[in-house]
Amino acid sequence: MAGSNGIASQDWAGRYDHIDQILNTPGPRTSPAFMAGDGVKDFLRNQAKILVIGAGGLGCEILANLALTGFKDIHVIDMDTIDISNLNRQFLFRPKDVGQPKATVAAEFIMKRVPGIKVTPYFGKIQDKDDEYYMQFNLVICGLDSVEARRWINATLVNLVDPENLESLKPLIDGGTEGFKGQARVILPTITSCYECSLDMLNKPTAFPICTIANTPRLPEHCIEWASVLEWPRVHRDKKMDTDDPDHINWLYTVASARAREFKIEGVTWSLTQGVVKNIIPAIASTNAIIAAACCNEAFKIATSSAAFLNNYFMLIGTEGVYSYTFEHEKRDDCPVCGGESLEMSIGPEITVEELIDMLTEKQDIQIKKPSLSSGSIQIYLQAPPQLEAITRPNLQKKVSELLPTGGEVTVTASTLPFNLSLNITYK
Amino acid sequence: MSLTESPEIISAQPDSKTRRYDRQLRLWASSGQTLLEESRILVLSSSATSTSILKNLVLPGIGHFTILDDAITSAADAGNNFFLEGPSSIGKRRASEAVRLLAELNDSVTGEAVTSTPVASVVSSLNFLSKFTLIITHNLPPSQLQTLSDTLWSSPTAPALLAVSSSGFFAEFFIQHHPHPIIESHTETPPSLRIRDPFPALLEHSKSLKLSELDPTEHAHIPYIPILIHARSLVPHDPKTQEEKNAFKTLILSLKFKQDEENFDEAHAQAYRVWTPTSLPSSLTQDIFPHLDTKLAPPAIPGIMHALLTALRRFTEREPHVLPVSPGLPDMKASTETYIHLQRMYKDQFNSDKEMFKSLIPPNPGEIPDDLIETFIRNAHGVQVFVGEQWGAFDKDVNRVGEALVVSPKDTSVHLALRAVREALENSGASEGASANVSAEEIKMHIVGMLPPDTELGEEIDKAIGEITRSPTADLPNTAAMLGGLVAQEAIKMITRQYVPQGGYCIVDCIDMRTGIVGL
Repeated sequence: MAGSNGIASQDWAGRYDHIDQILNTPGPRTSPAFMAGDGVKDFLRNQAKILVIGAGGLGCEILANLALTGFKDIHVIDMDTIDISNLNRQFLFRPKDVGQPKATVAAEFIMKRVPGIKVTPYFGKIQDKDDEYYMQFNLVICGLDSVEARRWINATLVNLVDPENLESLKPLIDGGTEGFKGQARVILPTITSCYECSLDMLNKPTAFPICTIANTPRLPEHCIEWASVLEWPRVHRDKKMDTDDPDHINWLYTVASARAREFKIEGVTWSLTQGVVKNIIPAIASTNAIIAAACCNEAFKIATSSAAFLNNYFMLIGTEGVYSYTFEHEKRDDCPVCGGESLEMSIGPEITVEELIDMLTEKQDIQIKKPSLSSGSIQIYLQAPPQLEAITRPNLQKKVSELLPTGGEVTVTASTLPFNLSLNITYK
Repeated sequence: MSLTESPEIISAQPDSKTRRYDRQLRLWASSGQTLLEESRILVLSSSATSTSILKNLVLPGIGHFTILDDAITSAADAGNNFFLEGPSSIGKRRASEAVRLLAELNDSVTGEAVTSTPVASVVSSLNFLSKFTLIITHNLPPSQLQTLSDTLWSSPTAPALLAVSSSGFFAEFFIQHHPHPIIESHTETPPSLRIRDPFPALLEHSKSLKLSELDPTEHAHIPYIPILIHARSLVPHDPKTQEEKNAFKTLILSLKFKQDEENFDEAHAQAYRVWTPTSLPSSLTQDIFPHLDTKLAPPAIPGIMHALLTALRRFTEREPHVLPVSPGLPDMKASTETYIHLQRMYKDQFNSDKEMFKSLIPPNPGEIPDDLIETFIRNAHGVQVFVGEQWGAFDKDVNRVGEALVVSPKDTSVHLALRAVREALENSGASEGASANVSAEEIKMHIVGMLPPDTELGEEIDKAIGEITRSPTADLPNTAAMLGGLVAQEAIKMITRQYVPQGGYCIVDCIDMRTGIVGL
């Protein structure tokens, strides 16, 4: 027998005895919309289509949980291949799989282990896919390690919402981990706080001032940054540094060690060198399991209405006991993705366009890399194409106040982000 | 060509084991990894929850695991357990199937299935249980869990117990352990920089600074620590009133040559360190030092740990009642020379404090490795002894339970409902995992029995009862995975003796998606 998703049922009697205890009866806090019994089981097992973004630490866990929960039509996107350092947690991979695409290997493993589940892998970028692709899913779960990719999918799903068509609203469930800590959240695009609304909650990445690296190194990290940021391009010119190439790390380690000796700084190691240049975040199976379970549990509750779902943010700190905090993150009216209102920005009258661009790159709630700026028909500065960049480049040294009256609207765009940010500039 | 353009490349890429474990070694280092690899874990079940926990322990590389379980794989097991192979596992020994599929995750871990011994026959065998580092149970019938807990509580050297219970969207777990010393707690509180009580070399160096005679570049690169101590030497006493504190901050800024000297801005921001006392952490002065001769005397904690803690107590009893100096220095605005010079001073003091500390170690436990002493001193400000009580002790005290229900009604109601459902299932004779109906009346009866007479049950109890009777025996894949992660995190913390485990019952509610603590 095939469901409406075209997947032949391989269910054996008793297969879902555990889950059916939930699906057969409402609980005291279950919504009246819950269709206990066959209705909800049919939707979950024969109709629901779910997208998993990322087949890494969280993705492997998410795929396994969804499959056991009874989602049978699962798609997974990942652009990475398997590395040996993934094997301490990405449990669908074995040493023989090193070098293979994560999405493909993970999909095959799940289909072999859990009969009757169809997992469709895509080895590539989320940006390769268009709106029509994302429209086919009921739910999207993200297990990503990239802020950029999260912002992209978040903005894409917010843009997808058509108030006339309820089907266009795709709940987005997002998880993330670091060491013993992690968070999971539910985003109902345009209705609840979105990923962009909470950008200021991200930890600021450690950045070392160039003058410290060049002139007054104190920490082993300063020596490593000197090797990678200043010495590599000086010595190797146009050759790109590949942080996955052990020979490159060896070179950086050697150069950093020599500098550390010169300045009597202790603590440069191979592992620290690799950690600094690759910006490695510690990761363990158990934290991924907690966060992936939280994400999949929300997907199950949303898909079945069997219990209330998370509103809307769960964070966990496992370093000192088990501490967690569940709260409602509030929507931002001036969120460039879901807010509608333009962002107020008050700057000094002496600020140049170049300085404004630096502010946009660094400001916690904006963080736009390589922004292009325009105001109505005025092109203030465009990063591309090269001809326009050349024409607008002289503006970089001009004061913003020369180009724009107070209260002027600036539209900020970046090629990596599928949205525009409107700034309302006033002068101090 | 300079040296750096054609350096002799050091080939120092780590071996494949280090590469495999790289992302976790950054959390617990090789010392934690070694303890993990020496550990032997016993799990008294092969349920979905049990295999989820084990997965997260096999992956990081425990030494060995044994699953003791005589269950035969049912159709329901084959549906909710990732470490069974669907219908082809039905009818086979569940533990054997699980061990085979879990062992695939990591070649350096050995696994064994014990399927012929009933759980009931090992829960009272201290001899058998003592072969393991940690015992984990899931939904063990309360009478067996009580016996197991009693057995493990009876001997100070018996392994810790991690008792897990779950039904549907609700779960809880409890760690029963003897006093558990933690040297590397990875506390986020940094060690004292001794700005308030500078050690002699630091004080002398700071006082002798001739700030006004320095050239402008040097002046802008004096680290904030000597600036603060120097400034303190310019005022008659520690700033106490708000007025004096503000005046002190103004004094710091007045020492600037130029407005943009960031080192003086740092000193201004850190000025509170001058009047904040270098107090010893209460985790030492209250929780450890007074008990070293009583409840923390060996064999409650190992002799070596006791000797180190005793030396630390003796060290802090001396003037000026501070911990040994930690050699680590945070980054601060400074030139390389001034920073390295300052760092050297802290290291020298660390070394001399270490010698003093060593002279205070009682002789009885024998030779203590130097690197252990060093690790202990470096982490002295975060050292803890995690002390707990026996599993179930909380529940036997109706007044504590009643109080908990008032203070945290949600979590306590979930806890009571889980305790009650385990009792009810054992009374009904239902085997683990099989469907069974449990009536709300029966659950309520058990709950009432655990509370002081005439306790008002309230709405949260009703909700918990409603939810628990909806799915009394459901081991949901997501709840199982959640517990798999939470329990493995705690197990790793216990085994590596790093980070701080959770005391009391940790309650998990997957409807509200929250966790809470009861009975601490």
